[in-house]
Amino acid sequence: MWKLRSGLAVAILVAVPALVTATEGLDVPEALEKTVSLDGLTGISFFFARAYNENAWLYAVYCAGTMGLVGVLIAVVTDVILKAIGMEVHKIEHRE
Amino acid sequence: MGLFDVYLPVAGLHFNVLVLLAIGFSVGVLGGFFGVGGAWVVTPALNIFGFPMAYAIGTDLAHIFGKSIVATAKHGKMGNVDVRMGLVSIVGSVLGVEAGAQMIMLLGKHRLDEDVVRYVYMVLLFGLGAYMLYDYCTKDKRQKKIEAAAALPIEPKKSWLRDLPPMVTFPVSGVRVSLWTVLGVFFLTGLLSGFLGVGGGFIRMPALIYLIGCPTAVAVGTDLFSVVFTGAYGCFTYALKGRVEIIAALWMLVGAAVGAQIGVTAVKYIHGYGIRLLFAIMVLLAGSSVALKQTGYTTLAAYMVMASALAMCAVIMIQLGRGFVKEKSTKQSAPAANS
Repeated sequence: MWKLRSGLAVAILVAVPALVTATEGLDVPEALEKTVSLDGLTGISFFFARAYNENAWLYAVYCAGTMGLVGVLIAVVTDVILKAIGMEVHKIEHRE
Repeated sequence: MGLFDVYLPVAGLHFNVLVLLAIGFSVGVLGGFFGVGGAWVVTPALNIFGFPMAYAIGTDLAHIFGKSIVATAKHGKMGNVDVRMGLVSIVGSVLGVEAGAQMIMLLGKHRLDEDVVRYVYMVLLFGLGAYMLYDYCTKDKRQKKIEAAAALPIEPKKSWLRDLPPMVTFPVSGVRVSLWTVLGVFFLTGLLSGFLGVGGGFIRMPALIYLIGCPTAVAVGTDLFSVVFTGAYGCFTYALKGRVEIIAALWMLVGAAVGAQIGVTAVKYIHGYGIRLLFAIMVLLAGSSVALKQTGYTTLAAYMVMASALAMCAVIMIQLGRGFVKEKSTKQSAPAANS
């Protein structure tokens, strides 16, 4: 259940910058002006650099999404490895 | 371009992948072993190696986000997360991170971000290192007090701020506390995260225990849970400002994921206070490397920050190896003795 709640919270978080900038109270300096050269770029470097050039919002979503996804992936793989070597984690009682 | 060099298009830098992996790995080992994120090494290290300060902070926050998911997943399974408090923390954390990020952008406009953040880091690292040295030197005096207090539960500090309405109840932690206290704690640590690119756990953890009254295990899990949102929002808002070098963050995350497993495992084998002395020295060396960078000795600063972090990791890994071999030989000799 906490995972579902966390997912919802992340979705809300993603919406916050839109609300902040929509008020025009805070600016987003340079991000919409600066472009990077795509010459010689391939693979994910090209993918992210193109997103950076074309749409700052898209780039931000890609960055947050990729880091989250890779984090989850590593967590799952680690969990599988730890289970395989017998270091499974369980819910514990809290005592002070 | 060297064999291990990659081009980081957003930051516009050629960077050695091994350095990125080494930074991530060191922070992973130290974070896993000492229980603090260690992100306060990443921002100065990236800056020393050529990242502009705002990019160093944004990239650090992106790497923190990925890393915190790995750590929180483990603590979540152990029931160490007060999800309700974590969700309430989002409001304070997000506002704090945005305030910190806006301060960096404002300083950047006046070309003051490099100097100001470096000086703040120097104060932070020298202060933390000095405190840890003091802690180490006075450990014997405190031992009796600690033993006497060990049997008693940790009581949160009484203050009018803790009882200011509206009050909120957190059943997992078993506390009822003012909403303002919770928001205040998370706002201040969020501000620190947005300004310095750190997780802020070294301040949030004691605040959760002593100010809010969380049990220690729940404080650790909830702190990490909160870092997920701090990191997520920090990554998002810095990326929106064009200050996240995602390729670098990914390389560091891979290094950190491996390092964290070693660090966490090492806790089982390494005991004693001596390791804290080394950690304090490492923090002081990290502060010194920031000072060297500020005074123009960039190459020396780079060697110092990496050498101190990797040396600390080497000590932990050697001790881990010794502990593992010792445990194995004890297990092998036990059946022989019984038979």
